[in-house]
Amino acid sequence: MKRREFLSRVSALGVAGSAGALSAPALLLGTRPAHALGDDIPVGLLFSLTGSVAVVEHTLHDAALMAIDEINAQGGIHGRMLRPIVEDPASDPATYADRARRLMIRDKCVSVFGSYTSASRQAVLPVVEQRNNLYWYPTLYEGRECSRNIMYGGAVPNQQQDNMIAWAVENFGPRFYLIGNNYVYPKEENNYCKKLLSELGGEVVHEEYVPLGHSDFSSAINRIRAEKPDVIFATVVGDSDVAFARQYHAAELDPEKMPVISLTRSEVEVKAIGGEAAAGHFSSAPYFMNHASAENERFVEAYKSRYGGDQVTHFVSEAAYFQVYQFKAAMEALDPKNVTTETIRAAAVGTKLMAPQGEVLIDENLHTHLWPKVAQWQADGQAQVLFGTEERVAPKPYAAYDGQSCTGAGLVEA
Amino acid sequence: MTKKLKYDLVAYALFAAVIFLAVPAYLNFEGYELNTFARYLSLGIVSLALALSWGTAGILNLGQAATFGMGSYAMAMHLKLKSSQGLPDFMSWNNVEELPWFWVPFHSLSFTLLAGLLIPASIGGIIAIFMFRARISGVFVAVITLAFLVAFQLLVIEQQGYTGGQNGLTGLAPLTLLGWTVDIYSLSFYYLIAACLFVAIMIGIYLVHSKFGLILRAIREDADRTRFFGYNVASYETAAFCISAALAGWSGMLYTLVLEFASPTYMSVSFSLAIVIWCAVGGRESIIAAAIGAIVVNLLEVRLSDVFVEGWNLILGVTFVLIVMFMPRGLHGVVAGANDWIARRKDSRVSNAKHSNLKSRPEIKGGQ
Amino acid sequence: MDVLFNQLFSGLSMASILLIIALGLAIIYGSMGVINLAHGELVMLGAYATWALQHFFGFSILLALPFVFVAVGAVGWLIEKIIVQRLYSRPLDTILATWGIGIILQQIVRIAIGPESRFVSGPEILRGNIQIGNVYMSNYRIFVIVLSIAILGATWAIMTRTEFGTKLRAVIQNRSISECYGIESERIYSLTFAYGAGLAGVAGALITPLFSTIPTMGTGLVVNAFLVVIVGGLGSLFGTALAAVLIGQATALFSIVMNDTLGRIAVLICIILLIRLRPRGLFPGKTRN
Repeated sequence: MKRREFLSRVSALGVAGSAGALSAPALLLGTRPAHALGDDIPVGLLFSLTGSVAVVEHTLHDAALMAIDEINAQGGIHGRMLRPIVEDPASDPATYADRARRLMIRDKCVSVFGSYTSASRQAVLPVVEQRNNLYWYPTLYEGRECSRNIMYGGAVPNQQQDNMIAWAVENFGPRFYLIGNNYVYPKEENNYCKKLLSELGGEVVHEEYVPLGHSDFSSAINRIRAEKPDVIFATVVGDSDVAFARQYHAAELDPEKMPVISLTRSEVEVKAIGGEAAAGHFSSAPYFMNHASAENERFVEAYKSRYGGDQVTHFVSEAAYFQVYQFKAAMEALDPKNVTTETIRAAAVGTKLMAPQGEVLIDENLHTHLWPKVAQWQADGQAQVLFGTEERVAPKPYAAYDGQSCTGAGLVEA
Repeated sequence: MTKKLKYDLVAYALFAAVIFLAVPAYLNFEGYELNTFARYLSLGIVSLALALSWGTAGILNLGQAATFGMGSYAMAMHLKLKSSQGLPDFMSWNNVEELPWFWVPFHSLSFTLLAGLLIPASIGGIIAIFMFRARISGVFVAVITLAFLVAFQLLVIEQQGYTGGQNGLTGLAPLTLLGWTVDIYSLSFYYLIAACLFVAIMIGIYLVHSKFGLILRAIREDADRTRFFGYNVASYETAAFCISAALAGWSGMLYTLVLEFASPTYMSVSFSLAIVIWCAVGGRESIIAAAIGAIVVNLLEVRLSDVFVEGWNLILGVTFVLIVMFMPRGLHGVVAGANDWIARRKDSRVSNAKHSNLKSRPEIKGGQ
Repeated sequence: MDVLFNQLFSGLSMASILLIIALGLAIIYGSMGVINLAHGELVMLGAYATWALQHFFGFSILLALPFVFVAVGAVGWLIEKIIVQRLYSRPLDTILATWGIGIILQQIVRIAIGPESRFVSGPEILRGNIQIGNVYMSNYRIFVIVLSIAILGATWAIMTRTEFGTKLRAVIQNRSISECYGIESERIYSLTFAYGAGLAGVAGALITPLFSTIPTMGTGLVVNAFLVVIVGGLGSLFGTALAAVLIGQATALFSIVMNDTLGRIAVLICIILLIRLRPRGLFPGKTRN
């Protein structure tokens, strides 16, 4: 008798334990308030708000959200408002994949804007291709990718390196020291750098990769001191770059003799590095915060008044911002009754837009034509643009690999 | 059949009913929701694997994520080979000329399935022999396994040409199992994962209730005394460690299927600690409770992050500290405690109070 | 040859940072058996406290050090009073609870101050390098080395030369007998935990000019510090110091011979072997269990 009662209690508690968690209504299984489809346009924002990548992705989230609110304040697209759906992938690639599916399948987003690291893009890629959605990726990246479902808003290697490497060889000398984090982006940038250097008669004195998040660069600095290169070509990212720059400065290596030319150092990093330590070094990117243009003034002012006067804009947040407008332009160009991934993509190709950096254009390979610039950091934490290209530079994601090119039909092998 | 086994079997049947019937019905058999839930189920296996080594044998393995990752990569390697003609794309990006020898056998699915269990088990076995022969226990086991995990993750990231580095293995083909191409958004896929979970739980329950499990518990309580009884403690610990590693590998294989990619973050310290937490929340002394713990915590995580985009991590941290402080034996402890309380009240009503005092069970120590 | 000497100095510098971080952890672990996984977050709090003092009051790092020590020590004291104290009978559970505390601290800082990286400028007087032949030594790093040795000495003196230290050692040896002699063991434990936390804060203040100050900065540090403590041996300050020097030098040398990643893997393998061969650490303390 007792035992049977006990069993029934175990069962009751067991059900309560497992099913209770499942069925606690509002919080646990409450999906978002349902909106009737057609009233508005659901778009996903997939930027990490927590974890280690949040340092940068939070600013991308802010910039994209600002663009969405601006568009809605102007009356939306064909009278329909953009409805941003925010997910926090917590800097973890598996969570990116999971949340991307959620946005595309459950929330039926028309497009998703998101992410900073290559690992997170790679995690989302199979999802977005399988679900045939569009993923607007604002970050500079390593190229060698030609998805028909990703809109690449950032620079690929040729857009950051072509003008810069030639200039660096001419002004500082041919001996390059390559340092980057240990993953695909720095390796691919270095591949292209080596290709350019061999054409220009330069040489690589050392190529070094440190783990992501690495924070003690004393070995690397000793090696740099011993090798005495002319240029340090850096693709160190995030807090590693902050540590690298500060320790480089503390070691009193002179930027006039051994400048660091970085592809990844933006206003965000320099704010943490401190203007004094960053001053004299260089970055190559399509956008810098104090670039002089009417669009940029408006962008910076709106950003600061919204998020605070000490906030900075940078070359990834600028792309996160203008990509929302590119999306808007594409949506406006097509029939509101026929919104599919194919029609958005077709409408987006060829779209010209006055972005803060200059007029950008979406290529048929879904990458963006940009305005590369080389700038020198000043003690006040801002970059002074030394020179830019005279024409908009076309994206060549396969520039490092002869015989391959990314076209409107996908990857073409010669 | 002991009393405790009976309770476990009843709980097992109930849990099965919930997972096989109630959950799919509740989720309206909808593909995406089922897939999300299947993810939690696959994580349930690694949590119960830890319950086996930690809860039963007292071996706190902070490197569980490493064996999980091995299984995950084994599966991903097979699916990657299936999706690519010739060399996988990332290899040619890293100037690897031909398929490395250790990739070749992963063309075969049966090899992959075996490897996903046996590689973690044998590597776990090597570490276990290495540790337990020297009678290392307690926190030192935790440190060695942690150091191994960190080193292993660094190695996987470093060998980009062979492992895909930081990006992991992506762009995988769907699995073909006996002619059935798995659609991960289908009900049958959900049932496949659920079935795996229940087979794993069954194995766990069997082991815990066998003589093997009894000896493991004896080792947990007092390793020296068990040794004096003539048992080879190191062998028992090694066996427990290997089985736990194999189950973790299995879980990793399923996780790769659900998420369609393998990433080195599966082998991170924080993921490993997360496994410990699932296990602790559910209750490390019970195999079923540990699996439920994984499901509940992951479900909470996702739902909380829906509602509190900014603060969900904070809520999770607070909840977790409260659980450790006030529910040291996890959800299972609450259920068991409530049972004891009811039984005692019943007892005291039937017989006198002295009797029930004699019967009260000794407190189980929180940690060893 | 120059490379070698430069590298030896780098190793020493890494060791001093490791030591300062690990020392607080070692004291807490050695005296209470608590593995404080929130230690990294206490380091992070120290870094943010330094940033706040500099940002709002214009303190230099050197001036901020005592304030940071007290502030983070107070946080540690609270954590001990509210949470850790209840868990002394369950040592493995403290690992889990302190990990949860770490999450809480990290999230509070992220929500209150923001996820972006903060800038703290280094002290003016310690700029520049000393150059001997071709060996360059940054003044700030020399300062960190000297300070870490000083803190080690001070901690040793507190443990062996003060009444508090005597009481603490008595409690470590046998808590109940010490209580019979009128030692308030709870108070001793709280103060010890606060002291360890305060040291974590100092470590955080010292690394801000070299590293980047973000909410997640502590997570990676705690694993390394944890390894140092275990290799050094339970309850032995000098074991901890020696372990820090060994690990720092090994990291520096391996990373110049191989690269930073492989160097770290090699160091971890050495640590595993070392624990296997000397499971009680290099210098096991002479305490009774």
